[in-house]
Amino acid sequence: MPSADVVVIGAGLAGLTAAIELAERGATVQLVAKGMAATHWAHGGLDVAAPPGARSPANGVARLKARGGHPYAILEPDLGPALSATFARLAEMGLAYRGDLRTALRFFPTPIGGLRPAAIVPVGQAPALEPWSPGEGLLLLGIERFRDFWPPYAARNLARQVWNPGPSRIESAAAALPGILELRNLNSLVLARRFDDPSWRAAAVAALRATIPGKGRWRIAVPAVLGLERHADVLAEAGDALGHPVFEIPTLPPSIPGLRLFEALRARATAVGVRVQIGFEVAGVERDGDTITAVATHAAARPLRISTRDVVLGTGGIGGGGLRGRRDGALEEPILGLPVAAPGSAEWLGGDLYGAGGVALESAGIRVDDQLRPVDPGGGVVLRNVRVVGSALAGMRYLAERCGDGVALASGYRAARLIAGEASNPSAAEAPGPARTAVAS
Amino acid sequence: MTDVDVVVVGGGATGSGVLRDLAMRGLRVLLVERADFGSGTSGRYHGLLHSGGRYVVSDPVSARDCARENAVLQRIAPHCLELTGGYFVATPDDPDDYLEGFPSACADAGVRTEEVPLRELFAAEPLINRRIRAAYEVRDASMEPWELIDANHASAREHGSDAWRYQALVGVERGPDGSVAGVRLEDRRTGEQRGVSCQVIVNAAGAWAGQVAALAGATLHMSPGKGSMLIMNRRLTSAVVNRLAQPGDGDIIVPVHTVSILGTTDVTVDDPDDVRVTADEVDALLADGDRLVPGLSSARVLRSYAGCRPLYDAGEIEASDTAHHAQSREISRAHHVIDHGARDGVPGLFSIVGGKLTTYRLMAEQTSDRVCVSLGIEAPCRTADELLPGPPGARPYWLGGRLAAVEADGGGDADLVCECEIVTNSMLRHALEERPDSSIDDLRRSTRLGMGPCQGAFCTCRAAALLAERADAGQRPPEAPEPNDSLRAFLAERLRGAAPIAWGDQLMELWLEAGVYRGTMAVDTLPAGEDMAPTDAVG
Repeated sequence: MPSADVVVIGAGLAGLTAAIELAERGATVQLVAKGMAATHWAHGGLDVAAPPGARSPANGVARLKARGGHPYAILEPDLGPALSATFARLAEMGLAYRGDLRTALRFFPTPIGGLRPAAIVPVGQAPALEPWSPGEGLLLLGIERFRDFWPPYAARNLARQVWNPGPSRIESAAAALPGILELRNLNSLVLARRFDDPSWRAAAVAALRATIPGKGRWRIAVPAVLGLERHADVLAEAGDALGHPVFEIPTLPPSIPGLRLFEALRARATAVGVRVQIGFEVAGVERDGDTITAVATHAAARPLRISTRDVVLGTGGIGGGGLRGRRDGALEEPILGLPVAAPGSAEWLGGDLYGAGGVALESAGIRVDDQLRPVDPGGGVVLRNVRVVGSALAGMRYLAERCGDGVALASGYRAARLIAGEASNPSAAEAPGPARTAVAS
Repeated sequence: MTDVDVVVVGGGATGSGVLRDLAMRGLRVLLVERADFGSGTSGRYHGLLHSGGRYVVSDPVSARDCARENAVLQRIAPHCLELTGGYFVATPDDPDDYLEGFPSACADAGVRTEEVPLRELFAAEPLINRRIRAAYEVRDASMEPWELIDANHASAREHGSDAWRYQALVGVERGPDGSVAGVRLEDRRTGEQRGVSCQVIVNAAGAWAGQVAALAGATLHMSPGKGSMLIMNRRLTSAVVNRLAQPGDGDIIVPVHTVSILGTTDVTVDDPDDVRVTADEVDALLADGDRLVPGLSSARVLRSYAGCRPLYDAGEIEASDTAHHAQSREISRAHHVIDHGARDGVPGLFSIVGGKLTTYRLMAEQTSDRVCVSLGIEAPCRTADELLPGPPGARPYWLGGRLAAVEADGGGDADLVCECEIVTNSMLRHALEERPDSSIDDLRRSTRLGMGPCQGAFCTCRAAALLAERADAGQRPPEAPEPNDSLRAFLAERLRGAAPIAWGDQLMELWLEAGVYRGTMAVDTLPAGEDMAPTDAVG
């Protein structure tokens, strides 16, 4: 019978981080996931904390932590080391990130001309966050027939944004790239794969260059399609050839920066010995009292039973499928049946789902102790060898607070250290008060 | 001041039918609608073109009307229909006497029906309840209300008449003898008012007819009957399925394009604008849906919506006119044409109330007949004989139709803006050329944009970008909504329909959509209002 020291369920940032950290510490790790993670929907930057008024990720974390009930109340000490480790392994896989916890949050322009606060982004997005110098214009450079990037719309909105200091002028243009005009329903992935091809890329970059208006200094924004596997090469060539700083704006799914992030971490996990199985839904678990002893997956021919000592649950929130709303108004955790803290169903969508504050249900999730073990409403540990990581955690609102990636990395990192025996009571020194209380009150 | 012979108030199917009918008889007619055409009850029904079978027991007159109009519409409006066919089935919960009486009631009302061997039913509809005891085939079809309304308007335009939307009736001008002399309208987007003189007003405001009558100094007691429906994420059946029982909750499944509509509740409400779907209604619909398709309640529900039936309190009207005693009161689903001249001292005001979408043309004909008599015009009705305008070689909808058209097309115009409903660039551009003042929600009614499983997650920003592009090119009329406002309004509108069914996969879909629009797009930071001055912070 196959066995592992740790079974990690879920292949998002949290699960992959936990798996890699554990494998690097010598554990045998089996990672199973039903499908692709929410990285494919997100912008590929690392949102650590940007609640209203925050000046930097660190400042945002401090604000969230002060509010109480937030996962950062116990995870904050792990955040710095988790980010450093992540940056290092991403760089090793050829995917460099810029920014850190102290970097000022600045406005990042979106494809419809919104402005979102960001600080830690892949190198391909980094020029967007450099301070604008006098006389520097923003050129939104689109691709003809690409349906998901709208330079004129973005330009007309960005020109009316309070963006201080912003570009001195904003213009839009679109380039006709070679050999794609006969394609149908062009999406990001098709374009990114084309950019991976060196000969096509040269012609495409030339076409982009020919579209740049003659005079002045520009910072050029293109849709985030500059290559998937050869992104670093594409970025370097585009920067050289266009003669102006270039950055990518992430747009509708599939998110190419998200795919790059996911692929880099998955490759890293495989490289350090994690057995990665994606497309395998958990069929059930075996328990001995308050301990999970085995996890079974739906393999091709028959259920595959993996006995294990520890489990990391990184199946995501409502968007990822880790929490599931039931018709009767309950919110459930479908794999282990863990207790979920949620508002009453009548209040689920109270608020504004598309407004900055979001809705009440966004803070729902699984409450844990400082060892990341799930607890019941009374604070009692439900399963002793399960650690909950990422967006399934209660008390965070990853859209309103822009904190989902930071919580994922920090919780994945902490779960690994706890399982490896490095952090038996990690927050006692940092925060003696809430050390033993549940995360969400 | 514009001068017309007749002003029709209400841009649903009935008003649009009256517009066409009177225009074809040589009158100059103007239809005014307070919102978008077909945004009231006509756009909020289950999509069924009745065979008449539904009413053979409870209301044989309506049944006969439905059967006749069904045949008329199959002839004059093929492109607005899908000839799904339909079944009436007896589930174990349905009464024996209804089943036994059904065939002869159909024969009496002129509704064509034939018993179907259960083996054939189960082969044709594999998901249907295997405990069904009997089934009858009828000529049900599904009907696209917005195309139907559009075709009526196109026909009216060919005859020199017109229809204006977003025009609220705010006053009625009357002559010294109390007769109708004109209307005052207010553009609901600009606030601008204008007058239109006319001799006749046709009140085709449906569930809102009482409000229109009151503006003209007449009284009309409407009793709006809210009907709620659920959209299931795929076609659960190929044909319409009705239950062999008195009309009740959850008694029908209608396949409409790529989805199925599960209907319908009936709740009397005071305000026809109160079309919230309650949790109780959702539960009732799903429980009854399970009787037709077992397991339906655990399938994915895309959306809920409700419309208000234009029911009126016939007894009350009769009582005020003819002193019938109170026991004669009944809320009728049949339609009635009311001449407010003798009744309320408002000559020139006619109301058409009750009825159903299937009989819209007949209702329009009967109303137009009365209007023509009052004006001394003898031209006969021709709406049942002349085909409604449609695309060349118009044929009924079939499931692969849009895809085939897109495959045959090429270039950027064939690129999909809405994958779920196969809405292309050229379809949207064409809709905007026809009606340049359209919001994204108006475009939904013209093209079905955003009506599929993702409920606008991808196409909303694509459509907003198209509106913005046209605005930059000077093609946005001043009354049209600003693109950002239109985008926000559409997200909010889609959410209203999702909220009552926000569980399971559809809740997950909402979260992914919120993730895209807030997380990646920062939609909450878009500037509002076209006229906002650029800030000096830029530059």
